[in-house]
Amino acid sequence: MARSIGMNGIRRVQLAGFLLLFALVASACASNKGSTYNFQWDITFRSIVSPNGSIINGLWLTIGISIISQLIGVVLGILAALAKMSRIWPFRIISNLYIWFFRGTPLIVQLVFFYYGPLLAHVVAWPSFSVGPFNFTDPAVIMGTVILGVNEGAYMAEIVRAGIMAVDPGQTEAAKSLGMPYRLTMTRIVLPQAARVIIPPLGNEFNNMIKNTSLLYVLAVFELFKTFQSYASTTLIYFEYMAACCFWYLVLTTIWGVVQGRIERRFSKGTGATSSGLSWRERLMSRGKPDEITVLGGH
Amino acid sequence: MTAPNISSDLLGAIGGVPRPDVDVVVDARDVNKWFGRLHVLRDVSLQVKRQETVVIIGPSGSGKTTFIRCVNHLEKIQSGRIFVNGHLIGYREAGANKVVEDKERNIARQRMEIGMVFQRFNLFPHMTALENIIEAPIQVRGMGHDEAVTIGRALLERVGLAAKEKVYPNQLSGGQQQRIAIARALAMKPALMLFDEPTSALDPEMIGEVLEVMKELAREGMTMIVVSHEMGFAREVANRVVMMDDGVVVEEGTPDQVFSSPTQERTKTFLSKIL
Repeated sequence: MARSIGMNGIRRVQLAGFLLLFALVASACASNKGSTYNFQWDITFRSIVSPNGSIINGLWLTIGISIISQLIGVVLGILAALAKMSRIWPFRIISNLYIWFFRGTPLIVQLVFFYYGPLLAHVVAWPSFSVGPFNFTDPAVIMGTVILGVNEGAYMAEIVRAGIMAVDPGQTEAAKSLGMPYRLTMTRIVLPQAARVIIPPLGNEFNNMIKNTSLLYVLAVFELFKTFQSYASTTLIYFEYMAACCFWYLVLTTIWGVVQGRIERRFSKGTGATSSGLSWRERLMSRGKPDEITVLGGH
Repeated sequence: MTAPNISSDLLGAIGGVPRPDVDVVVDARDVNKWFGRLHVLRDVSLQVKRQETVVIIGPSGSGKTTFIRCVNHLEKIQSGRIFVNGHLIGYREAGANKVVEDKERNIARQRMEIGMVFQRFNLFPHMTALENIIEAPIQVRGMGHDEAVTIGRALLERVGLAAKEKVYPNQLSGGQQQRIAIARALAMKPALMLFDEPTSALDPEMIGEVLEVMKELAREGMTMIVVSHEMGFAREVANRVVMMDDGVVVEEGTPDQVFSSPTQERTKTFLSKIL
């Protein structure tokens, strides 16, 4: 139980930090004697306990965009990683340029650039069509999702590449010696093993993705943040609405944390590291990123 | 560790000895290879006849492992030709005594006929013992799942590991892993088996069980090239022993010739160090 004592220690530090922050905010409010501001906590409370249709809608939009963007990112990431490791040099150059650009410029700039840029230059008219159960009829939603995914692909490429390189070269040789061509070697032998290395950081990426969808507010996409932000800016009640906004993001990221722990444990099969992931309770209490505390099976 | 119960027809499990259509299965001619500026194979020529077991011995760094890796084109060569079953390996003729590297797909097809067993086993850790064996027959040969499982189970039984069908490699001993690696290679019904120091990574008490499987294979008429430091195995099983040093075939002959009356000074020195 030595580990759990350590975790409790870390948790106490975290708790102390939160308390300190709240104390500062509270004292700042109290010391401002001239303030006539009345905190309307019922607004926060209602937004959490009985969120209205727009908030629910924003919540679903955030979830939908996150999932689809991440899927795009994973697919692009795998392709870019393979291209970057390819024997064919044009593939390497394209992949390197892609990664260089999308990791080297701010996401918010990419969103504005690729959405408004072509649109206002009258180069394209972004399409508008309906996809699935999510409210994807708005071209800003579609394009925003695509740009988020393309940006994510650049980060996933490095993660996937690291995962592939972590697989023992002997595995590729064994597959080749059995007559497997490149494609089979990758899909059946290398990528499934790389997945164990890829999945912990992938979990972190998805956590980031959930939060990064909030940047779509610049495209006037009414996801979670834009919804709360529009309430706040029209009523000038920022603190109360943003507190509720934080709550909903925490709900999403916390649920994801639990799911991530389960997935990681499932993917540890055959590695010897039978419980490679910490339990989700330990994960909640710990400060380390999951990819740093996860024991990965070597060869 | 008790000796495993290895039954007497390993090749029966895969439907008999695969018969190459030519008498010379491996024909390497004047093979040269460099790693950068290091000349690791110097005009190596070697023929292996059908059903022959050739054991390559020699000090480490002599190029013996590199040579058998060239035979299934895990390594490129810079000059010379290697033929397996009469087919040029890894390259295709491009006129005027020139060759270019073959298409990846063609190289993969050639490798189907050449089984390889590695020093470090290289079993697929995300698959059970049986899955390791049936993977390539299904995915590469296009064999039906049930047929592959039948063959896979038969092979597991023949290498004495029928009970380990559903076990993952990390739960098996080195000797058990290597026996499954042999079964995995055999499941592709290869015409030739290459063994790259198959017992060097094993604890001493596990070497016997792996050599036993290899002896059985040789007895049943599999064509084999074995890189090994197991002189007992070479003496007992090899039709021919090839001594390599510094990238050159120094001497070759029957085990008796090479071990009892070597003609080359380098062979004598090497043997005196290890025997």
